[in-house]
Amino acid sequence: MSTARHHRSSQGLFSQHSLALDTPAVRPQTLTAPVIKRLWFCIYLPNLALETSGPGDEARVVVEEQHGIHRVLLASAKAEFAGILPGQSANAALALLPALRVEERSEIAEQQTLENLAFWLEQFTSVVCFAGPDVLLVEIAGSLRLYGGLLSLRQQIAAGLGQQGFSASLAIAPTPLAATWLARGGRRTCIREPANLAAALRTLSLACLDWPNAVCESLTGMGVRNIGDCLRLPREGFARRFGPQRLIELDRALGRLPDPRSSWRAPERFCADYEMTEEQSDRELLLAICRELLFSLEQFLRTRQLGVQSILFTFFHLHNSATQLRLGCANAERMADCWFDLLSIRFEKLTLSEPVVSVRLRGGHAQALQAEPGRLRFQGKAPGQGRALRFSVAQLAERLVARVGNECVAGVATVAEHRPQLAWRLQDLLSGKAAKTLSTIRKGLQRPLWMLPEPVLLPVDAGYPLHQGRLRIVEGPERLETGWWDEDGIARDYYTAVNPRGMRLWVFRNRNRTASWYLHGFFG
Amino acid sequence: MRRDSSPLDKLLENPRVWRGHNRAHATAGLASGYEALDRHLPGGGWPQCSLTEILVEHYGIGELRLLMPALAHLSAEDSGSDYAEPGWIAWVAPPFQPYPPALQQWGINLSRILIVRPKDDSETLWSAEQALSSGTCAAVLLWPDVLDDQAGRRLQLAAEKGSSWAIAFRPPAARAEPSAAALRIELQASGEGTRLSILKSRGGRPAVLHDVV
Repeated sequence: MSTARHHRSSQGLFSQHSLALDTPAVRPQTLTAPVIKRLWFCIYLPNLALETSGPGDEARVVVEEQHGIHRVLLASAKAEFAGILPGQSANAALALLPALRVEERSEIAEQQTLENLAFWLEQFTSVVCFAGPDVLLVEIAGSLRLYGGLLSLRQQIAAGLGQQGFSASLAIAPTPLAATWLARGGRRTCIREPANLAAALRTLSLACLDWPNAVCESLTGMGVRNIGDCLRLPREGFARRFGPQRLIELDRALGRLPDPRSSWRAPERFCADYEMTEEQSDRELLLAICRELLFSLEQFLRTRQLGVQSILFTFFHLHNSATQLRLGCANAERMADCWFDLLSIRFEKLTLSEPVVSVRLRGGHAQALQAEPGRLRFQGKAPGQGRALRFSVAQLAERLVARVGNECVAGVATVAEHRPQLAWRLQDLLSGKAAKTLSTIRKGLQRPLWMLPEPVLLPVDAGYPLHQGRLRIVEGPERLETGWWDEDGIARDYYTAVNPRGMRLWVFRNRNRTASWYLHGFFG
Repeated sequence: MRRDSSPLDKLLENPRVWRGHNRAHATAGLASGYEALDRHLPGGGWPQCSLTEILVEHYGIGELRLLMPALAHLSAEDSGSDYAEPGWIAWVAPPFQPYPPALQQWGINLSRILIVRPKDDSETLWSAEQALSSGTCAAVLLWPDVLDDQAGRRLQLAAEKGSSWAIAFRPPAARAEPSAAALRIELQASGEGTRLSILKSRGGRPAVLHDVV
């Protein structure tokens, strides 16, 4: 009876003093009506160090150096079965199980794993936060409807984690700290209402709070064993004794104080490495590795609804400088198969100076995907009557460029210009800009279908130009005298001529003192 | 009027009897724009979905003029063909620069021209095969240095696959080589005029025509 009264009185004290605190920082501002209801999904990975070092269920341990001695941090199930426990020295563990695989803990690798996981989680929500070296927080209130409700979303995330080989403890709560603590405590709870938080947190032990050891020890010494006990302590005294930060944390966990979190954003450019265990020169294997990298690029871009126009493979060697291979695409593309197609064309011709130790794939600047404009086909066209369209002309051009080179594939366009050599230009098919062709057809003036890159000087015999025989003029002259305003001014008389072999030639005579004859094209 | 009782008709109905000039089975060709030539080609025009070889000794004797009306028809926007879009015309390894103003004069849609300049002969054949089988090109013109029987067969298959028209320009020396082409034409010219010989025509007959172009 007395304990019950004590309970009530301490609770009364708690609320009575709640507004009478001196420090403004610890004054709880009760959120009466939260504007946006948040729901935090916490993923706690207790075995991250073990899972980072690789999959496999053989007996292995991850060790960490503590005061000069390597001690077991985590042991796999088989190792634990052999009697190896966390905290043992590595030597003791090896004595128990000589076949044990011992790995050093790598915090960088753990961070990388966590980032990969955060990246994967970004498909479910736009808010992913890191909350410690082994905790990820995901805000899911906005994603519930899309993923078919809380239960279904939870199942999808849990299944995905299981597939990737992670054993995670999951918890859902309206505040990030409460979710974290519940996950650490191994409670598979799902709390949707802030009002239910206190009841759920009450029985959690202090170990879940991740507070400094000194704080936990002195609390335990006072007989405070769980969060419920903490909450019963007078606020003022608690803040004075353990620092206001602890009180703020409790208030935040219970939703009395806001707890803003900055969400993590994956880098916008894709970059991934594949490290090989030994030097490799097997091209089939390298190609398979590139394919794997391309699939992770596709995954990256798909999550973002983006595509890239160029990618860069870098093959690192042990001694020589790295070999690079750049691939380009007309449209922003993300499909791994499409990139792989281009890669396999180019890879054939790639010479690797040395065996490769690692491969890096960097995606170019990401841009929004462009949808291919399609055409409706109806009006009674029988199927199979038209051409079977395997790929668009852009894709054809990409394939050709990949093999023969960028400068070797082009379209053409005319230019409004009288000088024959300037009346046309090559056009880049991959630039995507469809420049409109100028229609400057002058019916009267015949132009040859074949043009020589440069006019060729013709020998002259008794006043007649020669090209495999004496030329006979059949048409002309057409006088072109223009371009005096720049370097390439011309003053020529053009003729159509026929030689004894039946070739129709386009020749001209310069209107200067030398009056030499030139061949400029063939009427193919 | 068929008389069923005639023994000759009965004999001709036997499927084992092949009649060389039976044009009923020939698929319609693409009108070449030159009536004299169309009369001698099975189907009344250039055979589509196949390989055509044109043997020329010199450039500039009308080898392109021969093709221009047909190519203009293929590249035209309102060609009224079966295709939803006008086809592209690929030029693989042309010996000189195809001159756009002249192409335009012949009515070719310049926005449908694709020029490929491969570095060697194997790339030429590869590019042509890609273009043919892609299904985007209505016609592929190529100037290979060497076109052996096997390569010709590959082009023929690619043309069938992509419903495209392959046109290979070759020197007259290739006349003696066997070829998988559906149509082989030799073009000769002298000061007096041009001579067009149909050397091989699937479903047709060899012929010699004068001054077609």
